[in-house]
Amino acid sequence: MKDERLIEAIEKHSQIEGSLLNLLQEVQQKFNYLPKEALQEISDEMNIPLSRLYSIATFFKNFSLTPRGKHSIHVCMGTACQIWGGQKLVERVGELLNIKPGETTEDLSFTLDTINCPGTCGLAPVVMMDKEIHGKVTRDKVAALIKKYQG
Amino acid sequence: MASYRLNIMICAGTGCVSNRAFQIREAFDKEIRKNSLEKEVLTVMTGCNGFCAAGPIVIVQPEGIFYQKLTVKDIPFLVEEHFLKGRPVKKFMYTPPKETEPIPKMNDISFFQKQVLIALRNKGIIDPEAIDDYIARDGYAALSKILSKMKPQDVIAEIKKSGLRGRGGGGFPTGLKWELARKAEGEQKYVICNADEGDPGAFMDRSIVEADPHTILEGMTIGAYAIGASKGFVYVRSEYPLAVERMHNAIAQSKEYGLLGDNILESGFNFDVDVIQGAGVFVCGEETSMIASIEGKIGEPKPRPPYPVEKGLWGSPTNINNVETWANVPAIILRGSDWFSKIGTKTSKGTKVFSVAGKIKDAGLVEVPMGLTLGEIIYDVAGGIHSDKKFKAVLIGGPSGGCLPADCLGLPVDYESLTKAGAMMGSGGLVVADEDNCMVEMARYFLNFTKDESCGKCTPCREGNAAMLDILTRITQGEGTMEDLDLLEDLAHAIKDTALCGLGNTAPNPVLTTLRYFRDEYIAHIKDKKCPAHECRQLNTYTIDEERCVSEGHGCDVCRRNCAYDAIMGEKGKAHRINQDKCAKCGVCYEVCKFAAVKVD
Amino acid sequence: MVKLTIDGKKVEVEEGTTILQAAEKLEIPIPTLCYHPLLEPYAACRVCMVELKGETCKLVPSCNTKVAEGMEIETKSERAVKARKLNLELIMARAPAAEKVQELAKEMGIEKTRFEIIDPDEKCILCGLCVRTCEEIVGANAISFANRGKDRMVFTPYGEPSEACIGCTACAFFCPTEAITFEDIHKRLVVHEEMELGPSTAVRVPIRQAVPMVPFIDEDSCIHFKTGECKICERVCEKEAINHEMEDEEIEVEVGSIILASGFKSFDASRIPAYGYGRYENVITALEFEKLVNASGPTSGKILMTNGNEPQAVGIVHCVGSRDKKYNEYCSRVCCMYSLKFAHLLKEKTNAEVYDFYIDMRCFGKGYEEFYHRLMKEGTNFIRGRVSEVTDMPLTEKEEGKLIIRVEDTLLGEIRRIPVDMVILATGLEPGIDQNEIAKVFNISCSQDSFFLERHPKLAPVSTFSDGIFLAGACQSPKDIPDTVAQAGAAASQALALADKGTFELEPITAVINEELCAGCQLCVSLCPFTAINYNAEKGISEINDALCKGCGTCVSACPSGASQQKHFRDEQIFAEIEGIFIE
Repeated sequence: MKDERLIEAIEKHSQIEGSLLNLLQEVQQKFNYLPKEALQEISDEMNIPLSRLYSIATFFKNFSLTPRGKHSIHVCMGTACQIWGGQKLVERVGELLNIKPGETTEDLSFTLDTINCPGTCGLAPVVMMDKEIHGKVTRDKVAALIKKYQG
Repeated sequence: MASYRLNIMICAGTGCVSNRAFQIREAFDKEIRKNSLEKEVLTVMTGCNGFCAAGPIVIVQPEGIFYQKLTVKDIPFLVEEHFLKGRPVKKFMYTPPKETEPIPKMNDISFFQKQVLIALRNKGIIDPEAIDDYIARDGYAALSKILSKMKPQDVIAEIKKSGLRGRGGGGFPTGLKWELARKAEGEQKYVICNADEGDPGAFMDRSIVEADPHTILEGMTIGAYAIGASKGFVYVRSEYPLAVERMHNAIAQSKEYGLLGDNILESGFNFDVDVIQGAGVFVCGEETSMIASIEGKIGEPKPRPPYPVEKGLWGSPTNINNVETWANVPAIILRGSDWFSKIGTKTSKGTKVFSVAGKIKDAGLVEVPMGLTLGEIIYDVAGGIHSDKKFKAVLIGGPSGGCLPADCLGLPVDYESLTKAGAMMGSGGLVVADEDNCMVEMARYFLNFTKDESCGKCTPCREGNAAMLDILTRITQGEGTMEDLDLLEDLAHAIKDTALCGLGNTAPNPVLTTLRYFRDEYIAHIKDKKCPAHECRQLNTYTIDEERCVSEGHGCDVCRRNCAYDAIMGEKGKAHRINQDKCAKCGVCYEVCKFAAVKVD
Repeated sequence: MVKLTIDGKKVEVEEGTTILQAAEKLEIPIPTLCYHPLLEPYAACRVCMVELKGETCKLVPSCNTKVAEGMEIETKSERAVKARKLNLELIMARAPAAEKVQELAKEMGIEKTRFEIIDPDEKCILCGLCVRTCEEIVGANAISFANRGKDRMVFTPYGEPSEACIGCTACAFFCPTEAITFEDIHKRLVVHEEMELGPSTAVRVPIRQAVPMVPFIDEDSCIHFKTGECKICERVCEKEAINHEMEDEEIEVEVGSIILASGFKSFDASRIPAYGYGRYENVITALEFEKLVNASGPTSGKILMTNGNEPQAVGIVHCVGSRDKKYNEYCSRVCCMYSLKFAHLLKEKTNAEVYDFYIDMRCFGKGYEEFYHRLMKEGTNFIRGRVSEVTDMPLTEKEEGKLIIRVEDTLLGEIRRIPVDMVILATGLEPGIDQNEIAKVFNISCSQDSFFLERHPKLAPVSTFSDGIFLAGACQSPKDIPDTVAQAGAAASQALALADKGTFELEPITAVINEELCAGCQLCVSLCPFTAINYNAEKGISEINDALCKGCGTCVSACPSGASQQKHFRDEQIFAEIEGIFIE
């Protein structure tokens, strides 16, 4: 896969020992998932067996082998948020978008996931839309929040 | 350097940022310009203040006036009244519940009174993105002290004397760990900062990295010097993007100032640091698992021994310490181990940062001396139970910890007493549950977490946790039996005995502690098929008090409109009823009814 | 040395030994699942747990915990046994179909598992032996663990056939529960599981009767030559007799005469698809039948079908690949007699009905015709006709489950369908695979059928057109053992005679090269059909070997500088003769 972004990323990270995880995260960010061709390219360039890359891609939660939605919805499942009704919140979002945690809507607009504590327990229950944290999102407020990102 | 009459310290921890802290700063700047106060008043974005329940927070220095819950609309008035006219605004200050007079100064507020700040000594006072601020507060003075006056062995001796213990949860004596790393054979050695804070409900490490990244770097450099390491890594979970950014920033600034990299402070000592982002896996917070992920493998823990201090990253001696541990090091070196060892208890010296959250009034971040009791933290510092409900349990140590009941409120917070009670200090996550929380559901929640995060290598954790989860789920759904409880206990003990790593062998702790202290709730679920806290909705029965519905609510119809299952019958103005056959027990009607006409049993 | 106590027994072992190994020394058994002595311990199954007594008693995995001075271990303490049993119950729930696990469970007294079984056919216990083998020993990295936690599984990237897989099947070898199987990727049927007709192992004894009885390493299958790793055989050989770096030595020997006896190859019966070889399990070739019937063969000499039963009827088909315009026109000479031998053996060893399908019965040798008559008396059914096909599609009930041989019985003038259980194809002889390469090296010719060409079919059957190169055996033409032995004797005596002669008669009319005129272009060297010319690199000229030169004149006419001249036919001589004719 001769994509410039990929080549740039590989060059940058292959200089630093221990940076494979960082490289994969950058690829995930740039392409919204880990394309098979990208993994093949990394395997060839950095002499890492494809089987190990596949292992890593399926082990770590941040990586996805299929394209993610345009917006990511992360509902916090941390203890504090749980105490404030996190489980019900995730179910509610699932109902609204007709998907389960880990899945993406058909039109690729949203991916629903859980997140284990972005560390804002004072604002429980928390929903992270892309990189923005929204606090005190209760079941009735979450529909409005999603609508904001739908447009 | 310019000096200002007033410094406006705006809390820019992730929490307040999501609550529009940056917009507040913009508003401030606008008003300051409008009132021609640019030369007198400076706004500074600082790290997390800790009193998250009161966010967004602004502290006006040097007066130390504490403003809370500000909105953009409040700013013009505040600027005019306080900055221009010199009259602090009472209505924006913190007023304790049940009192009328506000408390203007931060240090007088109960949330802050019992705190002793060492790891968090710079929070709220410096701009974490300005290395000059850090240096102005004696930053890097400790480093220059050791590079010029102390030999590595002396540094280790000092840390040993202080009694500092690992703040990540294990509580292993830090000085001893450094000594082992120093003695280990190997030309290349590494130090790692574990900022992979995976415990859900904990955000101490995040706050430290965001508020004061340089204290970590300084601590790591001191440690590297003591051990003989030349390379360091800061392993931050990617769920903390702000922390990652601040750390990158701090490293760049340090390098610029010659405080990191080659020939630090002209001493001939080289030490470089890189940032690695975690990729969403809890088990990578375990030392050997973290090392594996840095080596480019999956995060599978390795059996210990050999310990990382002997054989760690790429087979070399590696010293891993938690963020909080590193943050304490510069202070200990600067002020001396004697000073440090006077704080805390006999076996647990110094302070501990706790993130207190859950059903309490004042959720947030606190740093208290070891030895303070759980009750003091929950009631004196965190303001007690939300809505004045009844305390039920404190979950300490996250999914590896335990659930302690009211009887344990008198326990002092230190490593030994908590372990004896069946829990664990953990990284410092303290979550409070009240009467509306079901403890069986709590155990199930934790097990769900550990089962999800299990790496899958060893049989007891991979299969056993899932088996425990199955049993707990059935119990919360009213399908448990008394034999299940025996099997649950057998499983818990076997997993504790045979799991390969810390994740596995602490996973049964929530189960074991809830079985020990809250057994009656389990029995209620099994024998009576009822959940005493009403949290396990499958076991609830929702009914409408028809009299109340009419007399108080006047048949407002809100419940019926919100019912997704068409299970409520009634007309506006008349009494409503729930059709039990259709009722899915989702509990929405109970939540939306403003007149308490929906009853749950 | 370290001293420790296991189950009350004292033992002394070297430092670095694990508790498991120390227990082995005391013959105390500890169950294991994910352990293998050739791999680094993984310590994942947690079935080998033992109790370490001391200030803080705890359970430790015996496979990877190293011994320490004064250790006190109990392998059967209540705590250890309880934990071990529970872990095994969990494994039983994951992989209920794994026999090894069931065996262990029985030994430990566990009847059934209390945990939920999700897949009753699952055999994989996630011990990781296959993955570790592929990574540590083979070095191919074709498989790995995918997913996390309960979803963990052994997988290839994306679940597709792995490109990195070298087909060594080491993973299946190390798997304790037969959760990994492999398919013969060449799609050749393995007739009788023990008949090693499929891909062989890399280290093997060449044949069962090999002398010396020493294995060799087949470079094509050996993992080390593919990935650079493995070398387990070197690790375990106590006599240190294995050296992978051994290279072939090239030795130059100067000889005066050469006997070529490079043999033949069997006709590949799968070239005739109609006969069903390779499609039907019980259609075998003559050589395969020989192996079957041999006492040191896979069935100890019993004639059995692939399902282990004796055949009730057997058909022997002559002229497979011989006397056939489509394949080889010649007659392979030996097949009729060996087919009769097979028929005789079948009658002797089984109660099967034997059918022999022939075109002509060629019984030319001593006692051969008599043998044929004996067989007729024994009750073999001889059917004269060329078999057209072997099929398994029945037309009547009697033909169900049988192989049906379709043949035109020329004596009856009918087309017959004969149902049998086993079909033996009398495959013919063909020149060896490298026949043409050998011919090129020794500069001899082949006849049209690719067998080596003898100098004269009647008068010089063992010599070739190149002096000093002789032929023996089936490389010259198909022949049976008596003829081969006779021919070999002839070739040997001719070679010896050559060596013994002392003096040698040369052809007078040979060519000779004028050293001064020769430019060293070497054109003549490549043209000489008798390999009689050599290039002398030191002198820079070509030289003719009088003993080999036959005086054909090719080099003389080709030489551009006229350096090569034929004795008695030199240009000057010929011109002089011509002149002489014209003198009045």
